[in-house]
Amino acid sequence: MKKYLPLIILAILSILPLIGLSSYAMHILILVIMWAAIGMAWNLLGGYCGQVSFGHAAYFGVGAYTSGILYYKLGISPWWGMPLSIVVVSLFSLVLGFIVLRLRGPFFALATLAMGEVMRVTTENIGWLTGGTLGILIQKRTWVSKFGYYYIILLVAAGTFFLIKKLIESKLGYYFVAIREDQDAAESLGINTTLYKTIALCLSGALTGIAGAFYTNYMGYIDPHVVFALHDISIVTIMIVMVGGVATYWGPLVGAIIMVFLAELIRTIPGLGAAHQTLFGILLIVIIIFLPNGIVGDFAKIKKIFKQEAPRNELN
Amino acid sequence: MKRLSMLMIMMFTVGILAGNLFADDTLELSIPLPLTGSQAKFGEMEKYSYIIAADEINARGGIKGKKIVLSFEDGQGKPEVSRSIVEKLIDVDKQQVIIGDYSSACSKAIAAVANERKVPYLVVTGADDAITQQNYDYVFRMNPSNAYYAAGLISFLKQVVKPVSIAILYESSDFGTSGANDMEKQALEMGMKVLVKEKYEKGAVDFKPILTRVKAEKPDVIYMVSYVMDASLLMKQLKELRIDAKLFAGGAAGFAIPEFVNNAKDAAEYVVTATLWSPQAKYPGAKEFAEKYKSKYGDYPSYHGAEAYSAIYILEDVLKRAKTWNAEDIRAAMKATDMVTAFGPIKFEDKAGYQNQNFMDTLVMQVIKGNHETIWPESYASAKYLFPIPSWRSRK
Repeated sequence: MKKYLPLIILAILSILPLIGLSSYAMHILILVIMWAAIGMAWNLLGGYCGQVSFGHAAYFGVGAYTSGILYYKLGISPWWGMPLSIVVVSLFSLVLGFIVLRLRGPFFALATLAMGEVMRVTTENIGWLTGGTLGILIQKRTWVSKFGYYYIILLVAAGTFFLIKKLIESKLGYYFVAIREDQDAAESLGINTTLYKTIALCLSGALTGIAGAFYTNYMGYIDPHVVFALHDISIVTIMIVMVGGVATYWGPLVGAIIMVFLAELIRTIPGLGAAHQTLFGILLIVIIIFLPNGIVGDFAKIKKIFKQEAPRNELN
Repeated sequence: MKRLSMLMIMMFTVGILAGNLFADDTLELSIPLPLTGSQAKFGEMEKYSYIIAADEINARGGIKGKKIVLSFEDGQGKPEVSRSIVEKLIDVDKQQVIIGDYSSACSKAIAAVANERKVPYLVVTGADDAITQQNYDYVFRMNPSNAYYAAGLISFLKQVVKPVSIAILYESSDFGTSGANDMEKQALEMGMKVLVKEKYEKGAVDFKPILTRVKAEKPDVIYMVSYVMDASLLMKQLKELRIDAKLFAGGAAGFAIPEFVNNAKDAAEYVVTATLWSPQAKYPGAKEFAEKYKSKYGDYPSYHGAEAYSAIYILEDVLKRAKTWNAEDIRAAMKATDMVTAFGPIKFEDKAGYQNQNFMDTLVMQVIKGNHETIWPESYASAKYLFPIPSWRSRK
């Protein structure tokens, strides 16, 4: 049963739009799946390989701008940005990795955070290529209906999921975990830590970049403040994985459901006004305090709570 | 645990029911606005203004007998959240017309959706030129595009200040950039030298490196485009560094709202700013709206408030003329709009590369004795402009 769970969930997700969801529900679903894909990509580097990145907006943004620039400068369909972003973001990650992977722990985190910001400021200032702060507006999006977008992002997310699962269950995955647990010990066992960290970074970056390229196509408008946002992209990515469960296959999906779907639900409670942010914030704090390993990571704990409650109810 | 989830479910159900209770004799209108985040100040002012307008119309019996029921959804200044809101309004609430949001980025996200789904969208404050240059048939804009924001200020410069050089400082946003680019173009046309054109990160706390450069170049006019905090900080630091110029000028937004004077205190004195509207503007209802706003919320509204207030009146006018209240007829009625609101004349025209764009005179205000006074064009003036302005050293 457990073996087929990914396929079952994929099947459910692929027939979900056919039951006639409104375009609004589709929009939220698309965002959930997009964020799940980004979360999975982050999880590869941050969760399995232990390199906590605070700058995934850099990859997301470079991917988004790959698409955007194709359209803006060359007049090519921005969809080509999705395959092309794999190449561009991988190369970009390679260069970035050369700089930041020399650092460890908090220094790595800070360096990646800075990289995200550096990319934003750079994009703002090379206006001839990126349109600067005016951003890039795609005049006509490909489809009005959301089916196309949904299946494309579902394909990306499913691809990301199976790729990461395959990787983690291979030798490479064990190397990653070894590096996370103790880099020096891993090195003394003969693992080329620099090489494997670079591989993790490039893969994680490229997968995030594809989601970024998708974002350009889907939203039709990008500017440096939107796609290189420290809080709205980098931190949200980390929150998705933390809430869902670090180094778990399903954590990012669960996290994305909470961070996008639940946030939207709370936002639309009538009469709450601006307090929705507070309520959502409190909810996140509660999750982090009681489930430090995330919802999927601490699933056993959650099950226990319900099991303990069950007999009490019978007594009543 | 269980009780908590029960409570949550109850809350949701009550919420949904409450939403459906008043369905018949009312016109429900949800407006996306930034109510949290860095643009919340503007969102709040617009929210209050929408409410004042709706209350006035309801007091007169509503639109065709239907009372307006407003609700506001927080877009947080994020384009994808604004888009979520609008997708929901169109799909779930079946709202036939969209108005609102504040920033250019959010307005662009909404405009694209509205046009795809063929629901008319009235842009209230998004200023980036591009919004009405996309062949969007369903997007209407009541505020002039950014290229026209400084038109009044430029005529003031031409006729009164007659500068030969200018320094342009602007924040790194689409509003700041397009405002600065337009000013640069106009300045070059007037034969001015652009000595400095420098961008800064919005929310910066220290402008001294840029300002030192400005000081060395000694421009006649220092023109700045920024939101609230940056505007007052810039003026304070200009004062601290004793940088004198013939004129300090702001490009609307942060310079044109009352917070600017409150925050910058005496450094704000004599600063002129482009604006689309002022409480002294001689449009019917402008003064009444400004006074009403002040008595309720303690300060005069800026042009953002007037735009929001008038947007409801435009909607009233459009809905009165529309044959039915579905999107197509509302669009047709909106296209034929020709009215004067508290914000100014509204007419959606296709010209100069724009589509469904309102064109109007823009004003210049100057801070005189701690108040924003309209000084230009002279036919709108509430006070005589003070020029030349004294140097920092000779003030008190």
